[in-house]
Amino acid sequence: MAAWLDARFAHRLDSFRLDVSLEMGPEIGILFGPSGAGKSQTLRVLAGLTRPDKGSIRLNGRDLADLPPGMRKIGLVFQELALFPHLSVVENVAYGLKGPDRLKKARHWLSQVRLDGFEKRLPHQLSGGQRQRVALARALAPEPDLLLLDEPFSALDGPLRSSLRRELKRLHRETGTPLLYVTHQIEDVCALGDHIFFMNDGAVTASLPVGSLWENHAVEAAWRSLGWGTFLSGEVTEFTGGIIFAWEKGRLLLPPSTRFRGKTRAFVAPHHVKLLYPDLPVDPQLAENVMTGTIVEALEMGSMTRVYLSACGLQWQAEFSREAYAFLNLREGETARFAVRPRCVSLLEPRPFEEVTNADEDHCPAS
Amino acid sequence: MRTALLTSLKVLAVDIPLLLILGTSLGWLLAKRNFRGRELLHLLLLLPVVLPPSVLGLYLLMFFGRVSFFHDLGLLFSFPAAAMAPLLPALPIMIQAARSGFASVDERLEDAARTLGDGEAAVFRRVTFPLARRFLLAGLALSSARVLGDFGVTLMVAGNIPGRTQTLPLYIYSCIEALDFALAHAAAVVLTVVGIGCLLLVRRMEGSGRGRLA
Repeated sequence: MAAWLDARFAHRLDSFRLDVSLEMGPEIGILFGPSGAGKSQTLRVLAGLTRPDKGSIRLNGRDLADLPPGMRKIGLVFQELALFPHLSVVENVAYGLKGPDRLKKARHWLSQVRLDGFEKRLPHQLSGGQRQRVALARALAPEPDLLLLDEPFSALDGPLRSSLRRELKRLHRETGTPLLYVTHQIEDVCALGDHIFFMNDGAVTASLPVGSLWENHAVEAAWRSLGWGTFLSGEVTEFTGGIIFAWEKGRLLLPPSTRFRGKTRAFVAPHHVKLLYPDLPVDPQLAENVMTGTIVEALEMGSMTRVYLSACGLQWQAEFSREAYAFLNLREGETARFAVRPRCVSLLEPRPFEEVTNADEDHCPAS
Repeated sequence: MRTALLTSLKVLAVDIPLLLILGTSLGWLLAKRNFRGRELLHLLLLLPVVLPPSVLGLYLLMFFGRVSFFHDLGLLFSFPAAAMAPLLPALPIMIQAARSGFASVDERLEDAARTLGDGEAAVFRRVTFPLARRFLLAGLALSSARVLGDFGVTLMVAGNIPGRTQTLPLYIYSCIEALDFALAHAAAVVLTVVGIGCLLLVRRMEGSGRGRLA
């Protein structure tokens, strides 16, 4: 069976090269990778806002390569939402609709996202979560064959994010619209996705069904191909003083709200690995998860510094702005102390979506 | 004074649509399109602002007097010349306002409209234009005031012919030459009132920029 979406294209943007090949069924796909990997640019090409140098895009049996954005039947929810500030909520949702009953249809979509009664408001009179829902309704109203979402919930706090994720999943169930969701947050992958595409440096490096994230060893290779963050395989157990994630040569304390027990994998994003000054007292939130390791490599990447640390049988990636640790002598071969907040250890819980309640989702502050 | 006022109004009636069409399209081009020579075009279009009116008038005289096609049209020292002359220094004001207006409309809003099915013309009509409208109105008010008040360029290429090319500013000049200060004052009051009105309109339009993301 041919894939619902089959996109292969190459595009050059100054010094950045995008070379994407992506196949997806009528499901929820997650495009996962660090900032600057080319995820948003990929969405722009799919939506037709950027014309690739070469390549083909097929959606639902149609060839999109030469179609303008408006003819592709692809919806896009922007990271900044881009609601029309001069139009009321109902006019925003009706924007892509035609015909005499467009406002009626728009009202139907508003009730789908539980915003009845907000028709006449202007976007700036809504809360952040309400604006997200208007943007969703606006993109879904023309009944696209594919809905692209560019980190739409990244600006929201934990509980609101998880409730919007639930809402998105429900809309997907009810409308059957396939989604491609861009994120750099691992929680989104587990909570939403059917299929995950790893993306880094302008290329899709691996693709896996989300269900297999806990099963086979191919996953390790996929994570390595991503080359971003630290990936751990281990077991969640209770221990005196709390719940821990333990692996062969080390352990990390998890937040007390963690419910999952058993073997799983965990992910720590590079900006959540904090280096510690040798002489200063340690933040109590970090104190339980302090590790000592050797600096394997320190890379200057623009305004960022990335450090690879070897500790507890693993290689850790830490990232921070260049000035942040100017006082530390970060040389390769030196010893460094670093720590991870309990709530910044993201467990890849199998099917956490049904289990998670709002209180559980104490998420990490964005870097 | 009534004939001079009428001439001025006729000039405005010709120039306001031209300002709107030319200023809006050139402003849009400069704000939203990337093409070679954009900066050069922008500078050329702004040039009339910094040139003295007499210099502008001189160049216009040479252009319309020496280029044989235009010479044969016989435009100089007639109403068409009186209508065209003030357009030159006023147009940059309109272009500049339109350019800032269109540049203030976030491209992501236009992209959103595109993904929702709009072609380029519909994007302009439904998103870009409504969001830049305040800038356009403010620019139109200021540039119209400039048209109404033009003295030097008009005098150079259209002369000061009562009933044909004598606009209100030129009329004031003639009154003063004839030492008829009462009439000069009357005409001056009209121009001052219109000027203040334009400024008030601009103030109102400057309120809140809306082209940004909510």
